[in-house]
Amino acid sequence: MAGAGKRQRLSLRIAAIPMGLLALSCLYPIFFAVNNALKTRHDYLLDRFGLAMQPTFDNFVQAWTRSHLDQYFFNSVITTAGAVILLMVISSLAGFALACLRFPYRRFIFVVILSSLMIPVQVVLVPYMRTMVGLHLIDTRIGLILSYTAFFLPFSVYMMTAFYSGLPRELIEAARIDGAKLLQVWWHVMVPLGMPAMITLGILNTLNCWNDVLIALLTMQKNRTLMVGISALKGQYSDQIPLFTAGIVIAAAPIVILYIIFQRRIVSGIAVGAVKG
Amino acid sequence: MHKVGLMAAVAAIMVASPALAQEITVWDVNVDEPSNASYYDHAKSAFEAAHPGATLTFLSQPDAEYYTLLGTALASKTGPDVIWANGGAQAKNLVGGLVPLDDKLPDLISKLVGKSAFTAPDGKLYFIPTTLQGHVVYYNKALYKAAGLDPDKPPTTWAEMTKVCDAFKAQGKTACFLMANKEGYEAEFFLSEMANQSLTAQQQVDWLTGKLHWSDAPIKAILQTWVDTAKDGWYQEGGNSQTMFMDEFTLFSQGSAGNVWGLLSNVAHWKVFEKDMGVDKVGVYPMPSPTVAADQHQGAPGVPLDGGVGYGVNKDSPNVDLALDAVKTLASPEVLTYLVNDAGIVPANTLVNTSGIDSPGLKRIMGWLATSAVPTTHANSSAAELDEWHRQSQLLLNGDTTVDAAAAALDKVQAQAKPQK
Amino acid sequence: MEQIGERLGAPCFSKLSDLPMARSSLTETAVASRTRKRSHRSRRAEAIVAVLFLVPALLLVLMFRIIPLFWGFGISLTSATATDPGEFIGAANYLRALDDPNFRSSMVNAGAILLAVPFFVTIPMILAILIDQGVPGRGFFRSVYFFPAVLSSVIIGSIFSIVLGFNGSLNGALKMLGIPGVDWLGRSSTALPVTLIIQSWSTFGMGVLIFLAGLSTVPREMVEAARLEGAKMWQIWWHIIIPELRPIIEFSTVITTIGLLTSMFGLIYVLTGGGPGTSTTVPEYLIWTAQGRLNQPAYAAALSMILFAVTGILAWLQIRMLSRNANL
Repeated sequence: MAGAGKRQRLSLRIAAIPMGLLALSCLYPIFFAVNNALKTRHDYLLDRFGLAMQPTFDNFVQAWTRSHLDQYFFNSVITTAGAVILLMVISSLAGFALACLRFPYRRFIFVVILSSLMIPVQVVLVPYMRTMVGLHLIDTRIGLILSYTAFFLPFSVYMMTAFYSGLPRELIEAARIDGAKLLQVWWHVMVPLGMPAMITLGILNTLNCWNDVLIALLTMQKNRTLMVGISALKGQYSDQIPLFTAGIVIAAAPIVILYIIFQRRIVSGIAVGAVKG
Repeated sequence: MHKVGLMAAVAAIMVASPALAQEITVWDVNVDEPSNASYYDHAKSAFEAAHPGATLTFLSQPDAEYYTLLGTALASKTGPDVIWANGGAQAKNLVGGLVPLDDKLPDLISKLVGKSAFTAPDGKLYFIPTTLQGHVVYYNKALYKAAGLDPDKPPTTWAEMTKVCDAFKAQGKTACFLMANKEGYEAEFFLSEMANQSLTAQQQVDWLTGKLHWSDAPIKAILQTWVDTAKDGWYQEGGNSQTMFMDEFTLFSQGSAGNVWGLLSNVAHWKVFEKDMGVDKVGVYPMPSPTVAADQHQGAPGVPLDGGVGYGVNKDSPNVDLALDAVKTLASPEVLTYLVNDAGIVPANTLVNTSGIDSPGLKRIMGWLATSAVPTTHANSSAAELDEWHRQSQLLLNGDTTVDAAAAALDKVQAQAKPQK
Repeated sequence: MEQIGERLGAPCFSKLSDLPMARSSLTETAVASRTRKRSHRSRRAEAIVAVLFLVPALLLVLMFRIIPLFWGFGISLTSATATDPGEFIGAANYLRALDDPNFRSSMVNAGAILLAVPFFVTIPMILAILIDQGVPGRGFFRSVYFFPAVLSSVIIGSIFSIVLGFNGSLNGALKMLGIPGVDWLGRSSTALPVTLIIQSWSTFGMGVLIFLAGLSTVPREMVEAARLEGAKMWQIWWHIIIPELRPIIEFSTVITTIGLLTSMFGLIYVLTGGGPGTSTTVPEYLIWTAQGRLNQPAYAAALSMILFAVTGILAWLQIRMLSRNANL
């Protein structure tokens, strides 16, 4: 902030030093992954930290072809995009209702959603699978989209509720007094105001869906997602690390690139949503 | 119009195409291993040539989630036609969902060894083993020489073994044995490596049925040896944080220790070490144990041997007969030969000809398999006992518990897993 | 939950008096008087719309979470295995859990892990505020802080297994300083703290993102006004920013607690395998092994129900505590 005093600016500069070191430590795993994906298994086992002296792209080719990552990639894109959009819309609607509207059993409904956040995934595995089989949703993308939406929804609804309950109420009232319907209030007020939280949710849910192994493994047994294919690359004895790492680099690259490209947008999106007071 | 078209396209994308009626699906965790490629490719083409119109599909599964996936899928009847499993506790856990094979594939079964890892308490065979797994010691001949030992005379008795480790200790450069017990696997293998000679055949049977307990003298002696060898400085430091498959065997190839407890198939076997270290630089011997049971032979320790991995048929498969044929193909000598030659496994099918392989290590191993195979004690333990043994072995190694307390904790788990009527 | 319910009871209203009323189109009095005029009918309409807004969320949560939960509770009362539905055995699985020393020590570990929750919440919060306040290099920090979260825990685990091994780089560095090496992941006393530090390092980026979103609700003018009046940085943090962030702090605390209790499996699996002994075994890890390797899904279901109950109570306590502070 431009108006910061001299002493504050100095404090911020001092704070930048440990924060920079932390940032470097966060860059290291990316370097480690790319570097080792370029090694043969043998070179990796001999020296994990050394630079790949004779870089090879074999692992990338292997990962891409042998494990059908080209097919799985498409599945991951469709299911992640579908689920992330559904999650944004549904959780924003639900968060608006829970945070700002009056209706009976609100607290009870909130408790139901919040407690479903705490259900360990293992207890529901078999019942969840039977439900999916019963609904003929096994091996369908729509089934996986609905599953992701359901699994990550409690978190998203809770976050939108927390976010909206921190907003000044008069913003909503203003729109309502102008005679707007609630759906319009949601669309014209709550969605723009909720943008910072929705963008954050978008990022977190993209990561959750994209990196998920277990739900996709159960739901899409034949027609798989990227991370399931990659997890299988590691092998029974976990000694296929360079091949696996190449897979991880392939999977992480779109996420990292998208994030960096949209970084500006994300920041300005957060700024647009910011309450001007 | 455009919208409708788009919706239709999206709907078409969303619904996956229905499975082919004549498709046999195999779940396996080793499909993506490059050295296994020729085996799976030939199994597929052999099967599909014999069954026109049918396809054999291998799905590579992630190891960490495999048994969770399998359990959930079997419980909700969405499992594959053919199921891969490790021999021992894992395979035996699954038999309720499988087809018993004794009457279905009698010709094939008569040619197999290593069946007990896949035989249920009801006496029936539920998986066809493809590989054999066994436990032997590999040693570094150059390091033996450097420690003043004769590289062509590996130890055959416990006294000689102790001398070897004393020599390594006196030299003080490299450890005598590598210890990699982060996942608890070293402790598992140690159990079999010590029981090979110290348990009678009857005691091995009693172990399988749960009549021989952890606190009984022969097993407690093994726990004590585990502690004593660590105290005597046989191992490098930090064994409890050392991973086995990812690191230990590489360290051995690089000359970090004189000896390592290794395997016969899949990983850490003769072929890997002979390739990485040189055929004349690595030797192999069966592990001697401190006590020799009445029906065992001093100076000629047995080799713990059993089925390594195998394939079973899901009883809910819509094509059980076709699935049985797929298993038959996977275990046939013609197809298994590729796994032997390219991945270096020891086959469970005795019709596979290994005489063409030029490996002194394998020749010695095949000789022991014919004369001195003994049961693999850890494969005859329940999964729950092994899980507890992982924990207790780590605590023993750190000195956080006593042998008596560990044996008591293990007894409790054993009583629950193998209840005695 | 009662307290958040109460806050929900006056949603968005609570801060009305705190906020400078700068919106040109309305004044405080106008809002208040017109709100009072709202008819009974529009109240009912509001309730109907609210329910409609919640229907998609409720349907999905019920179908894929709540109903399976009750179903899973049913399984926990049986002796089911993967291939056998088993028979009804009442509370036997729960009694077994109480008598299981590994489960007991995993609960103790869970308790120890909870002590770390304040760090897991405050560190990302401080970093987010600093980024928001314009620390030099903030764009770069914002980009890279979430990188560890993008990568698989297998890669994070592999790196730290090598760094922290007995012959690893950390002990190598210590040796140069004349400090004897420690088997960080192989000793009962150090394994859990080290695992927690790695977990916090690999997930703090997510927390930073959440707090950055929350910071956008802090009115800039208030911060600026305080600054012009000569308020010190810590005063602005303590009296303006942190109180405004309260809903997000509460959210982050609850989420972190749940996350630590129910999703550390991946990292523990590669880093320590739950050992040595049970020193890094959390309840979730036991549930995984019971469900998978041990083929005891009914016992896994019972352990899950216990963990669910404990997490629920903790979340309830946290929400109560944090919301009570809100009233101070």
